[in-house]
Order: sequence, then C-alpha cells, then structure tokens
Amino acid sequence: MNDNALVLRGIRKAFAGHVAVQDLSLQVPRHSVFGLLGPNGAGKTTTLRMVMNILGPDAGTIEILGQPADHAARDRIGYMPEERGLYPRMVLEEQLVFMAAIKGVKAKQALARMGPWLERLSLADWRKRKTNELSKGMQQKAQFIATVLHQPEVLIVDEPLSGLDPVATDVMREALLDLRRNGTTIVLSSHQMDTVERLCDRVVLINRGEKILDGAVSEVKARHGKNTVVLAFDGDGSFIGSLPGVVKVTDFGQYLELRLEAGSDPQPLLREAAARLRLRRFEIVEPSLHDIFVETVTRHGKEAA
Amino acid sequence: MSAKLWAIVRREYVERVHSKSFVIGTIPGPLRMAAMMIVPALAARSKGKPLKVAVLSASGELRQAVEAALREEKIDGRDRFDIQPAQAEASEAALKQAVLDKRLDGYLALPEDAVSSGSASYYGRSVTNRIVLRAMERTVSAVLVGRRLTGAGLDPGKVNELTRALDMKTIRLSEQGEREDQGAATILALVMLMILYASLLLWGQAVMTSVIEEKTSRVVEVMASGVPSTILLLGKLLGVGAAGLTQVLVWALSLLGVSLAAAGPIGSFSMPEVTPLMLVSFVVFFLLGFLFYAALYAAIGAAVNTVQEAQSLAFPVMLPIILAMISFPAVLESPEGTLAVTVSMIPGMSQLTMFLRIVVLTPPMWQILLSIALLGLGILAVVWIAGRVYRVGILMYGKKPTFPELVRWVRHA
Repeated sequence: MNDNALVLRGIRKAFAGHVAVQDLSLQVPRHSVFGLLGPNGAGKTTTLRMVMNILGPDAGTIEILGQPADHAARDRIGYMPEERGLYPRMVLEEQLVFMAAIKGVKAKQALARMGPWLERLSLADWRKRKTNELSKGMQQKAQFIATVLHQPEVLIVDEPLSGLDPVATDVMREALLDLRRNGTTIVLSSHQMDTVERLCDRVVLINRGEKILDGAVSEVKARHGKNTVVLAFDGDGSFIGSLPGVVKVTDFGQYLELRLEAGSDPQPLLREAAARLRLRRFEIVEPSLHDIFVETVTRHGKEAA
Repeated sequence: MSAKLWAIVRREYVERVHSKSFVIGTIPGPLRMAAMMIVPALAARSKGKPLKVAVLSASGELRQAVEAALREEKIDGRDRFDIQPAQAEASEAALKQAVLDKRLDGYLALPEDAVSSGSASYYGRSVTNRIVLRAMERTVSAVLVGRRLTGAGLDPGKVNELTRALDMKTIRLSEQGEREDQGAATILALVMLMILYASLLLWGQAVMTSVIEEKTSRVVEVMASGVPSTILLLGKLLGVGAAGLTQVLVWALSLLGVSLAAAGPIGSFSMPEVTPLMLVSFVVFFLLGFLFYAALYAAIGAAVNTVQEAQSLAFPVMLPIILAMISFPAVLESPEGTLAVTVSMIPGMSQLTMFLRIVVLTPPMWQILLSIALLGLGILAVVWIAGRVYRVGILMYGKKPTFPELVRWVRHA
C-alpha cells in the first residue's frame, strides 16, 4: 500500500518550441493538503492537465492512488480547473447530475448527494434555475459541488477561493477542511499565499516548468530561518531600511516587515528603533510564504538568466 | 465508459430537442411535406376562374371563329375562357379601358392580316399565367392554320387527323411497378434533395457551434478531465445526430403519411410517387452524410475561438457538398452516366448524388451498397482526423491555427 495519493516521476511536456514542464517529480501524501505554487505561466495548469490526462506527458510517469494512471483511476479524482465551465443553458440540478454521470455516478445517487451541498453553499433556492441566471460567485460554488459529487479521494482545486465574498470564502474553506477530515487528499493551486500558508501541510513551488522548492510548510519556513522582523510603530520609520544587516524592507507605512542578513543579530536593530520611534510591536518571526515565494522565484529567475 | 457516453449523448439530444429552433423547424415539417406533395400535383393542372377576355378583330367572321374556338377550351370540364362579346365597332381604346377598370382580364387583338402573317397580340393586366396563355395561343393558332388550309383548298379536319401531334406520356418503370410520371416526381426529387442538403449543413453547423460554445464557456476542460476526448466527440456527434434524425424522421413519416392518404380520397390528383426505398435512403443518407460533415465541423469548431473565425475554414469543408449540388442537373439528365455513377461513389458527395439517383431511377443494389460502404470508410477517416484536431484544439485559445498547423496537430496529436 502506497502512502502517496499522487506520484509524478520525471514529467516533461513541451509545446511547439517551448518547454512547459521540465523533469518534474513530486509526491502528494495521502490525506494532506498540498499546495502547488508558482508564478503565472510556471506550468501548474499544464501539470494538472497531465494528471487529469487532458494532456499526455512527453516523458515520465504518473501514479494515482498507487495505481498507474488510467481513466478508472481518474474517476477517483475531482478536478476544478481555474477556468470554470458549466453549460450556460442547463438547469443547475441537471447540470450537477450530468457532471456526476461523467464521473460514473448514477442520477439517483447524485440527486441524493447534492441536497446537503446545495444547502451548505446556499444554493438550494437555485436548484431549478439555469446556470446563466446565477451570479459568478454562485457559479463557482456550483462548480465546486460538481467537482465533489462523485466523492473523490483526491480533490484538485485551482484557485478555489478567488472571486468569493468573505462569507462564501469562509464556507468554502470550511468545506475543504471537512473533506480533508473525512480523508480526502486536497491539491490546492493558488496565488493567495495567506490561504495556502494557513491550509496547506506541504508545498511545491515551480517556476519555468521546474521544481524549485518542495517540503512541509513548517520545514520550508524553518529552512529560511527566523530572520524576519515585524515592526509596528508611530513616527517616521524611513531610516530603518538603511540600518546595517537589513536586506529587504516591505513597507506598509506604520508597519514594516524586514529581512535580516542570515546570522545577523536583531538586538542592535531593536535598540536603534526603540531610541528613535514609539514602538508598538517588535517581533522576530519566520518569513511568510509570500516572501519565500517572491525570494525563491526571483533568485531562480536570476540564476536561469 | 458506455454510461458516460450515454450521458453525453442524452445531454446533447435533450438540449437540441428542447430548443425553440428545433420545435419551430420540426413541427411545421409535416405541413411542408403535404405542401410538397400537393403543390406540384396542383401546379401540374391549371386552376382558378376562367380568364375574362374579349377578342378584337377587323373581321367579324374571324372574331367569331376565334371566340367559338376559345369557348370550346375546357379544363376539367370547366371553361378556361369567359368570352365577352365585343361589338364589331368596339375600339381598342374602349377595351383597354375595360381591362384597366377590371371589367376584363385582357383582350386579344388580331390584326387584319392575322391569317397570313400569323400574328396576334394579347393585352392583359397579368401576362404571367403562362399555362392559360399557352392554351390561348394554341387555340388561336389552330383557327388561323385552319383558315390557311381552307384557303389552300384542303379540309382542316382531314389535315388535322393526318398530322395529329404525338401525345407522349412518360411512365416511370421500377421493380415496384409502373406509374405515370407527370413531372411532379422530378420536382419532388429536387425538393427532397434540397431538404437533405439543408439538413446536412444545418445539423453539421449545429455541432460546430456547440463545440465553440463549450470552448467559450470553458466547460470543455471539465469534460475532458472526466472522459477521453474521443468519447466527448463521439457523444456530441451521436447526440446531435439523434436530434437531427428525429427531425428528419418526423418529416419522412409525414411524407409517407401524405403519400398514403393521397392514394385514398384525393387520389384524383396525380401525386408524385414516394417509395419506401426513397424514404429509407433519405434517412440513411442523412445519417451518414451528417456523421461525415459533423465530424469535420467539430474539428473546425475545436480549432477556432468564434463562429466568425470558423467561416473561412468552413468553406473547404462545404466544397464537396456544393460540387454535388452543382452536378445534379447532369445526374438528372443521365442518372446512369459515368459522371453520375462516379460522383455517387465519392464520400462527401455521394450522400446527395446517390440519393438523387435512387429517387429518379433506382440504381443497381450493388452500386447503392458500394456507395454506402465507401461513405462509411470516409466517415471513419474523417472522424479519425477530426478526433485528433479536436483533442488538441479544445484546449487552444488565442490565434486561429493556419492550415499547416492543423496538419501538424493531426500528425502529432
């Protein structure tokens, strides 16, 4: 019995002249929430399409739930692509029954399962309405239901929270966590770094088709060291960026995030800041996933150039 | 996989059949079929009120002879002409005024030298009722010729008897028996051909539009993650095809119904003959032709982003069907000729030409079967190519591919 929900080995895909994915290997452990990160055009969607067999890899193998990837194995995955798609003139209920049928679920079963989901995502009143009468947010929620009706063991969602209002965001996040509690493995692709940071156990970062970072979120952050300082203060803090040992400043006005040189001592910084500003907060923290993302991608970009 | 295919076929079918355009296109079909059968039959005989005319001639005797002859003209036991006696002194101006006042439909003016010159003029509000005017021309001509014969000392009755014109009836012979053809069969054949042609284009384009819609609404990626693209394409072809077949069957059955009804109470009309072979081949060639063209249209739909972009790619696809339509007069002229036989064997053209040949003469069974077999092979080839273009195309957005690019898709998909 394999502990990985998905295993990609040496995957490569090229389109007319440019390489979209290069020798990519990764493992998604069962029951984890796995973040697939990368800047626009990094090859995330291409990778997911290969997992779903929408595209065939030029080289490499894909294993799903311990089996070689065939169509039967893919019925155990739910895939919500970044580009949402529903038939505009279909009634919501019929649409969901159809989408489930495509994944091998009988109509009766689909109808029984969709009830609680429609309630939960506040779509129950829209059951008999056509898709093109639904708002964008509602369509997104409908798409999510269409993705999970066949009770996939692995759920791949591309930007599941974008375009949702705060209430819907919370409901959707809860839904994802519930699925995870019930044993679903979740692969999350997103640019919302705070969401990824809070939801994911593991992340893989790819850039220009190559994997440049892989590991548990805590491990990745620890690897980057506790060299980030968060400051909140009253007064003019513009001098802080030029203090010795400061590598990078992210300025929010009355709130700063500083990256210090590796191994440098934050104590002199604290003394200097306390002397010149009225400090409300001074904290040494792990870098945010956002910073790690920006830094790693920038460094990789320079190396490649 | 078959359950998934079935789900796709069902969805496509239900969506088409529920659309307004389907209902509007299908329901009046039977009425149109009835019209198709009855109008040619009615058109073959002329009908309506007799034409109200007066005859103007310098010679009263000639006028009376012409009037008498015109009064004799009957159609289905009714007078063809209602002759208004004109006074000898009636002026042309008065008659003109009568026509304009609608007291007369028209008048025939015979010049003084009418007998020797053989000339006459008809003035009327309407001069497009060819059949009636032809009858008038024939009658007047007979009177004038009779006068010339008498003038030459011959007996018009005797001459008439000796020079009786040929009255040739055309009878269509087939295994089902013989039947007199009064031109209506040709009209029917052409109408059925036009319907087949229009249905093929219409339903083929329906497939194209639906592929483009799936691309535009991005639903195709969700679909492709559930089923292989070949199943997707197949489901679409079968689903839309079934909807098209439903429409065509409604039409064909109503045609059969009208044709059977016509054998009964209104049997006195000369109804064009509709044989079961014609109906069956109408349905069969619709289905095969549909699969052939719909697969090509699906490939075009997958390659482009909008219906507008599709136009330039659609033309080469329509070319064979247009050539088939252009060739139909030649096929009608000589249904067993080399051209007709050849064209009825080429997939892409055969579904129209073979159908036309079946309607006009019942070709040998081996030719029909060979044509169907070749069309079947053509469909397999086209579906194979279309499947490859489709697989690549459905995920391609942006620039419309050039023809060499399409060839590359087919080779590398």
